[in-house]
Amino acid sequence: MHRRIVAVISVCLCLWSGQVTLKAQEFKLFDRTVQVHGFASQGLVYTNENNWLTMNTSQGSAAFTDFGLNMSAPATDKLRVGAQVYDRNLGQLGQYHPSLDWAVADYRFKPWFGVRGGKVKTTLGLYNDTQDLDFLRTFALLPQSVYPTDLRDASIAHLGGDLYGNISLKHRLGTLSYAAYAGHRSDSLYSGNAYLASEYRVYYSSYGGLQYGGDLRWSTPLKGLLIGASRIDGDLTGKAKFINPLNPGAGFVPYAEVSKADWSNQFYGEYTAGKLRIDSEYRRFVHDGIVNRGLIETVTDVRGWYISGAYRFIKRLALGAYYSRYSITSVSGGPEAAYAPDQTDISLPANHLYDKVITGRVDLNRFWNVKVEGHFMNGYGASTYPDGFYPQVNSHFKPNTNALVVKTGVSF
Amino acid sequence: MKSLRLLSLVAVVIMLGPVCAHAAEVKIIANPSVTANVISAGELKSVFLEEKNSLSDGTHAEPVLKKSGPVHEAFLRQYLGRTDDDLRTYYRALVFTGRGSMPKELSSDAEVIAYVAGKRGAIGYVSSETSTEGVKTLAVADAGNIAERKLIARVDPGYPETLKRLNIGGTVRLQVTIAPKGNVENVQVLGGNPILAEFAISAVKQWVYAAGHSRTSTEVTILFDPRR
Repeated sequence: MHRRIVAVISVCLCLWSGQVTLKAQEFKLFDRTVQVHGFASQGLVYTNENNWLTMNTSQGSAAFTDFGLNMSAPATDKLRVGAQVYDRNLGQLGQYHPSLDWAVADYRFKPWFGVRGGKVKTTLGLYNDTQDLDFLRTFALLPQSVYPTDLRDASIAHLGGDLYGNISLKHRLGTLSYAAYAGHRSDSLYSGNAYLASEYRVYYSSYGGLQYGGDLRWSTPLKGLLIGASRIDGDLTGKAKFINPLNPGAGFVPYAEVSKADWSNQFYGEYTAGKLRIDSEYRRFVHDGIVNRGLIETVTDVRGWYISGAYRFIKRLALGAYYSRYSITSVSGGPEAAYAPDQTDISLPANHLYDKVITGRVDLNRFWNVKVEGHFMNGYGASTYPDGFYPQVNSHFKPNTNALVVKTGVSF
Repeated sequence: MKSLRLLSLVAVVIMLGPVCAHAAEVKIIANPSVTANVISAGELKSVFLEEKNSLSDGTHAEPVLKKSGPVHEAFLRQYLGRTDDDLRTYYRALVFTGRGSMPKELSSDAEVIAYVAGKRGAIGYVSSETSTEGVKTLAVADAGNIAERKLIARVDPGYPETLKRLNIGGTVRLQVTIAPKGNVENVQVLGGNPILAEFAISAVKQWVYAAGHSRTSTEVTILFDPRR
């Protein structure tokens, strides 16, 4: 243990002093330049009350690690190919099972029309496609009301294709950017959805299906102001085995969930002026799921929004804060509806999560940053839908949770 | 007294420092494969933000960055409206989502020129003082200051009597690049009779415009009327 600590400190000192420099690597392949980039981060989370994000945070947990590595190259002037591998361990989630994060062939016919296919990052709001890349922003954790990290797998990418482009508007009216996509979504079995289901003795073997949607954003004539909207729809199926609470003696029986409706609408705005950045988003997510042909049908309605601001005071120091608000209602029907009681009162801590956050980010050099973040949360939102607080790691919930997140990351 | 002078000098140097840094003038350069002589400010921005990988005439284009320095800062401020940190964050978002690459980054003007000279479609920037042999200079047409440069001295083109008698006439359209000092730096034929264009070019090259803050471009049409 002592040697490990010494080794970690030595690496940190070398990075800081510049004796080890992280540089993007590149090499030639068939006369094309292949770029190699990567990132890694390690976090430590301590909470005063409930355990958070499937970690034993009340004891302090460092089970908060992720990394990615990608390679990309231009195949022709208009065609670019690349792929990225991503892996993470977040408490009980991820568990170091690497995944192909994206693998894309991107052909841009014109600035206003391009096509990309393969496993493509899903454009949804300001940060869905970059939510793993914490070195891009001031905060250690994005507002969980709109970007729940435990459900990252549900929206991060699709196997299919995108049409995209940028259209410069005449009369100096700014630029419109669009993306329309369709494909297959396949959730990790190590995500929050599957983990929460296991609490109810439902063990998924697969969850996914058709996903399609679009995004339209307008870089307005007012310098630094961008507004946009996204919509995503899913036609999902989950296959699992479970123990029926009405007949536990039968042991594991097949379980199938189909979505009657699964959609999200997201609206957002961003304003940047020099070292100041302000953004705000609203997302509404509705999922109507039917289990075993009507044994139980649950309609979940999640609404979340946040407003955030960050300011870079000096080149190496930025401070930020956000307020994030999340509420959930769920209504069930069918013979086994009693096992999922209706939850409609969002004033209850079980049906909401309000989070006030302050963050400081220090860039030790161009490649390495350290963040310290405080969360002051009211509510735990533990319901039929995951939101960071899980009954498996909490014997009982308390209404308020304060959290300290310390995270460091490198990227090249 | 001596130390007071020294302090004053230091204070002046400190105060002038930022001014000098801001005063860096930028020249946009391109590989000779880039056919255009003029690029709009919007198009230049789109190329550097990787929203475009070809110019409006279809020529392949790819950006080349300087790593740091006053010229780099001036370019970012003048043409991209972003800080160095913002731009790097922007590129990283592209790189790590599979939507773009990190542009080539070089340290000195000499390295940028050497790279741009050898890389098809490359577009970069160097100090306006730097000699740019082996690459072409692109004028940046800012929609905001096109045609705002006042023509101070105009020289009419020659029109040989022989051509008039043969009834050879018409209009010649030229794209004219005007240096910050006001002299015509480059002329490109956009249309018209090639013989008449020669006369038009030699005249327009002698024109003088009002001085401006940066290199600009404008379109000029010259009429050759054999009946006059």
